Amino acid sequence: MYIDVNGRKAFATTGGKPFDSEQPTVVFLHGSGLDHTFWGLHSRFFAFRKYSVLVPDLPGHTHSEGPPLASIEEMGSWLNDALEAIDAKDISIVAHSQGCLVALEYASRFKKNLKSVSFVASGLATPVNAALIDAAENNPEAAIGMMLGWGFGTAGQLHQGPIPGNSMVGGGQKVMRGNVPNELATDLKACNAYQNGQAAAANIEAPVQVILSRKDKMAPYKAGMQLVDHLPSPVVHIFKDCGHMIPQEAPDECRTLLRDFIFQNNPSS
Amino acid sequence: MSNFYLFDTLSLHAGQTVDKEFGARATPIYQTTSYVFPDTDTASSIFNLERGGHAYSRITNPTVGVLEQRIAALEGGAAAVCTASGMAATFCAITAILSQGDHIVASSQMYGGNISLMKNTLPRFGITATFVDPTDIDGFRDAIQDNTRLIYGELIGNPGLDILDLEAIAAIGADNHIPFMVDATFNTPYLCRPFDFGVNITIHSVTKWMGGHGTAIGGVIVDGGNFDWGATDKYPTITEPYAPFQGINLWEEFGPTAFATRIRAEAMRDFGASMSPMNAFLLLQGIETLSLRMDKHLSNTASMLEFLINHKQVSWVSHPSMPSHSSHELAKKYLPKGAGSIVSFGVVGGREAGKAFIENVELASHLANVGDAKTLIIHPATTTHSRIDAEALVAAGITEDMIRLSVGLEDVRDLQADFEVGFRAAKKIAGL
Amino acid sequence: MGFRTKQIHAGVTPDPVTGAILTPIYQTTTYVQNSVDEYLAKGYSYSRSGNPTVAALEAKLTELEGGAACATFGTGMSAVHATMLAFLSAGDHAIISDVAYGGTYRLCTKVLSRFGIEFTFADGSNPEDVAESVKDNTKLFLTETPANPTMKCSDIAAISEIAKKAGAVHAVDNTFLTPYYQRPFELGADLSIHSTTKYMDGHNATVGGAVISNTAELGEKVRFIMNSTGSIMSPMVAWLTLQGCKTLSVRMDQQSASAMAIAEYLENHDKVEQVRYPGLKSFPQYELACKQASGFGAMLWFEVKGGLAAGKQLMDNIELWSLAENLGSVESLITHPVSMTHADVEEAERARVGIIDGLVRLSVGLEDTEDLIDALAKALDQA
Repeated sequence: MYIDVNGRKAFATTGGKPFDSEQPTVVFLHGSGLDHTFWGLHSRFFAFRKYSVLVPDLPGHTHSEGPPLASIEEMGSWLNDALEAIDAKDISIVAHSQGCLVALEYASRFKKNLKSVSFVASGLATPVNAALIDAAENNPEAAIGMMLGWGFGTAGQLHQGPIPGNSMVGGGQKVMRGNVPNELATDLKACNAYQNGQAAAANIEAPVQVILSRKDKMAPYKAGMQLVDHLPSPVVHIFKDCGHMIPQEAPDECRTLLRDFIFQNNPSS
Repeated sequence: MSNFYLFDTLSLHAGQTVDKEFGARATPIYQTTSYVFPDTDTASSIFNLERGGHAYSRITNPTVGVLEQRIAALEGGAAAVCTASGMAATFCAITAILSQGDHIVASSQMYGGNISLMKNTLPRFGITATFVDPTDIDGFRDAIQDNTRLIYGELIGNPGLDILDLEAIAAIGADNHIPFMVDATFNTPYLCRPFDFGVNITIHSVTKWMGGHGTAIGGVIVDGGNFDWGATDKYPTITEPYAPFQGINLWEEFGPTAFATRIRAEAMRDFGASMSPMNAFLLLQGIETLSLRMDKHLSNTASMLEFLINHKQVSWVSHPSMPSHSSHELAKKYLPKGAGSIVSFGVVGGREAGKAFIENVELASHLANVGDAKTLIIHPATTTHSRIDAEALVAAGITEDMIRLSVGLEDVRDLQADFEVGFRAAKKIAGL
Repeated sequence: MGFRTKQIHAGVTPDPVTGAILTPIYQTTTYVQNSVDEYLAKGYSYSRSGNPTVAALEAKLTELEGGAACATFGTGMSAVHATMLAFLSAGDHAIISDVAYGGTYRLCTKVLSRFGIEFTFADGSNPEDVAESVKDNTKLFLTETPANPTMKCSDIAAISEIAKKAGAVHAVDNTFLTPYYQRPFELGADLSIHSTTKYMDGHNATVGGAVISNTAELGEKVRFIMNSTGSIMSPMVAWLTLQGCKTLSVRMDQQSASAMAIAEYLENHDKVEQVRYPGLKSFPQYELACKQASGFGAMLWFEVKGGLAAGKQLMDNIELWSLAENLGSVESLITHPVSMTHADVEEAERARVGIIDGLVRLSVGLEDTEDLIDALAKALDQA
């Protein structure tokens, strides 16, 4: 569906069921240069289990009107505006990578309706290599190659994926090609500039869950553990054999963790 | 260093996780109809497309799935769906997006089965086609109607061997919001990856060079993931709610793999043109040596061309690698490694001499397939293209004396010796 | 669990990764190990030593036979051979049923004899004859019952006693009746050998063999030979055999019922000299057949009046019945053992054990009994 956020058209999928503000809401946030399809193996599951689902494309990404937002703080505010626009209550946020920084901002500032936050594959900050930012601006195909090359573990590199016949890497590549150069470069610069993670983490009151992978090359395990250390009593899960793209590389295990956490902290009738 | 594995590595490994249970190095052959679900919630979530997984082998199968992901990887696509034959792939791909009242602009130089499908079969269901000379780019643009929903062609025309100008035609498609689907059987991803030139969907008869050994019939549809189905309302099968899956909007939920998902959800489920696991296994074996075989096909083709060009009893030879061929420049652009291993030529003495030639060679097998490891020859006018009328025959670039040669992997000296036997027989008929 | 349930489910668990209800065909040579220290942690290293698809069949056959272990082979003959190599060395002696498949006889007399192993062919229908054949160096008894092609039955329990006393291993070739009808281990035998080509597959699709052992220790010895000599079963054969096993009991019951009807028909036919089928009251060992098996199987033989010439004419003329060497398949087969399956048994030996020239062997398949009898009737009319 399209929603109006501060006068601009924003797209979000609702997982195959109409958005119903009377039900608890699960919001899924994508990472740099990606879009709502990243969460395809999770969103529909919750939508068919009495949750209202919102998986937005960030401004400028795929179906959402631009321009892209220049800072994580702005993205956090934008998310609140989007959720207010649809009158969402009892909110659970599930975020991946850059989305986790947005979730930190949102959760530390907009606590009223927040029931839980699930951080997947992220630290407190996401310093971005200058070469990658440069590539995103000047040689987008190389930037996409670097990000997907680092992002996916071995199975992803071999074009495997949980949906028979579909290549995770192939699908990701096509999505990212629609979000370069401007959206990706803006995302990466916003990540690189974000410094408020530690303060935001300390200020979160909702129950939190952190899902990390030992073999994550984009948000290394050590950085992820810093997030764990600064959050108030997080529930932590560590994958052994996954890359950075946990929700796509290990969707069934990841979905089970999200389900158990959200069902407990934000139950639906 | 590339961020991704390269062609030969992918042709061996893509799509395959080493068997989790026992570590089996080869892909297990899942010769099974069904899959036991751990619980009802998993079952319902697979049926409702909430997650991946297997329910019934008509729709997905783990062995076939390895082949699909391997081809998607080699082709540079987002997803692939294997079918029971190349024709099934073409049919399923077309019917996934076209319905009654829709129209196709297609190349006139295609496999006879493709032409017949569009000329004789699809019209019965209200889908019509206009055929255009593949070298006439303006002809493609001019043939587009309000109801045109697809542009279709073969990169290397069969059997005239004219090369489609992919970029030019893809641009026409993009201008009109019409996807461009290419039958890439003759080139395989090793010689050309059509998605790199703006093509949106590819089709292969994997029976041919991909499998390479003449052991299994099969087809594949590869979704390039690069067409914006939502830009217009022309493609309701992708962008409108799909009733059988609780009104799912495939474009919204699957984005770059929406088209492949429609094939899976409709063609595999309702038409059931599925590939068997055993065929998938045999085809995987073939793909492991794709580049090695293609290189040898190409070097043998070069030798055979030289032999034929210099032979007194050959009236003409056609192959895009020859500077005299009208598609020579396009071949250099799209097929830099080589323009495939199909050669056509005429035998001095016409139809009867050609017949005598075919009947007297022994090593080259007289049959309708192409792309086998073994050398194959055929007389298209009386066989593969016999079901199309004289006018279409001319449009397809077929002459009465044409012999189509699919150069195999034999020692080329033996092939040439074999051809000499055929030429001696043709000589008598031609009265030379 | 009953036999019919076991024949469907034993040895097979749904694939843990995909849920595939059938065992995948692991057409692979080798298995990737997690680490050097975890070598063989998943149970497999190389498909000669073991293969998951083959292992599923081995587990099923073990359960069906009520044994402790099973090793499978490329053919029934390699199963027999491995049994002999596992328990016999140069200087040893074995007692073999005097009527057995011609290939078994050939293996003993023409091959293993070259390696210093000695064989006595004893009349298994007469346990005393078997007991008298025992020597100090007797290490193995191989009993084929009912015997191919005469249908002579041997007393498994009695011979098992003799073998036990001699401190030797008793192997029973259980191909003709399968564990559905005949339970060698319950009668005291140590090993059960099968040509899985026959009833286990049942569809003429594969050649294969199996040795099921009553103890793990014996099983180890057979498996050691399997791995050392390498005449293994392929995953594809194992998979097809797994499917065949699922209908074993229904095929056996139907084929045996047909065989009984055919035997009775032939017995009353003017042009038939004699019929041998364990289910006929006229069968010389009818009581033993009833005592040691719960069914009579689908193999029988008869002699046409006019002997060899008439029999050959019948086999050449008959329709529907295929003139072929195999047995136990869903297709009905007719065989002339003297010129086909037992051509390697010397004439004198054939005469001694009752493989007469006019013997026509029938393997009754799954066709309609009426059609099979009609075809025999027409061929007999012409004889």
